Amino acid sequence: MKPEIDPGSDSRVNNRIDAALRSLGNSLPAPGLEGRLLTRLAAERMRMGSATNAFPASRTGWLRRFSAPALGTASTLLVGAVIVAGSVSHSRHIAPAPVSVAPVLHLPASGVGAASAAHPAGPSSAPIPAGKSARGHAIHRQGRARIAPGAHKAKGIVVPRPAVAPQN
Amino acid sequence: MNSLEGQLVSWVAPAPVAKPLDTSKTIAALVAEYSTALYRVAFSVTRNAAEAEDAVQETFLRVLKHESRLSEIRDYRVWLVRIVWNIVLDKKRRAKTRPENEDIADHARVLPSGERGADDTAISTEEHARILALVDRLPNREREALLLSAVEELSTAEIAATLGTTESSIRSRIFRARRELAVLLEKEGITR
Repeated sequence: MKPEIDPGSDSRVNNRIDAALRSLGNSLPAPGLEGRLLTRLAAERMRMGSATNAFPASRTGWLRRFSAPALGTASTLLVGAVIVAGSVSHSRHIAPAPVSVAPVLHLPASGVGAASAAHPAGPSSAPIPAGKSARGHAIHRQGRARIAPGAHKAKGIVVPRPAVAPQN
Repeated sequence: MNSLEGQLVSWVAPAPVAKPLDTSKTIAALVAEYSTALYRVAFSVTRNAAEAEDAVQETFLRVLKHESRLSEIRDYRVWLVRIVWNIVLDKKRRAKTRPENEDIADHARVLPSGERGADDTAISTEEHARILALVDRLPNREREALLLSAVEELSTAEIAATLGTTESSIRSRIFRARRELAVLLEKEGITR
């Protein structure tokens, strides 16, 4: 709730407010403001003029016209190139390319053609050993344990009986 | 000729060529006519003579930079006040502080002694400073309208154009500002 203001003091309050505002609204600049402004403006105009003369518009007109698009295109191309180069570099870093060696052609003097030489046969397999077991025959016999018929057996161990031929 | 034909004619007819201005003379005339008013506008915000003068200089430098557009300006006074107003508000925003550098000597210099009324002489410059400090505590919109209303050269319409609002809005803002200020003065005991 706003405090009540004594109606009699309204005029006094307004007078004081007006006086304070007048002190702002009627403020005077330091003497010679206009001259200082004009001097500063003249100096600025000379500076702008000398800058313009150093780069006359007729000479730099084409440069001003095309510099922005050219700069934009160049920067776009540069960014694209950097992206491509970075991508290629990254992929090479992850999976290095296999070193490719050109096949060496051995052209023997034995009359083998060039096509055979380009696709040489693999290394020859090991020589087949002599003997039946080595050639795959009677292998199943070797895997069995042989028990001598008269062998002494310890108690509690079941030993299969030797096969007995049926007697007719 | 109906309205459509009128529009066509206006489109086809060559636009009137603006008479080229002698910009240096125009700017010199603007300096002579408006520099004091612009200084007052700037001073109402900065409360500092040097800063206010800097703002006026910056205003005319901007005018010089856009001198090719001078022929398009309808109301130089409002245009210039808007420029200086934006400059001082921008500076104040950057400083992010209320004016702490109030120069009492500036307040003492603002009115020539011959122009002071009986009420003014009774109120000390120190009291002015206290009242203006209370003005700074007002809400932005009310404070801005009140400060611009203090500049004698500006009408309500010009203040409205500067702040981008209507005259009635300006009047109500000033009314609210004065009412709030009276309450603050009462609280501070300045009215006694």
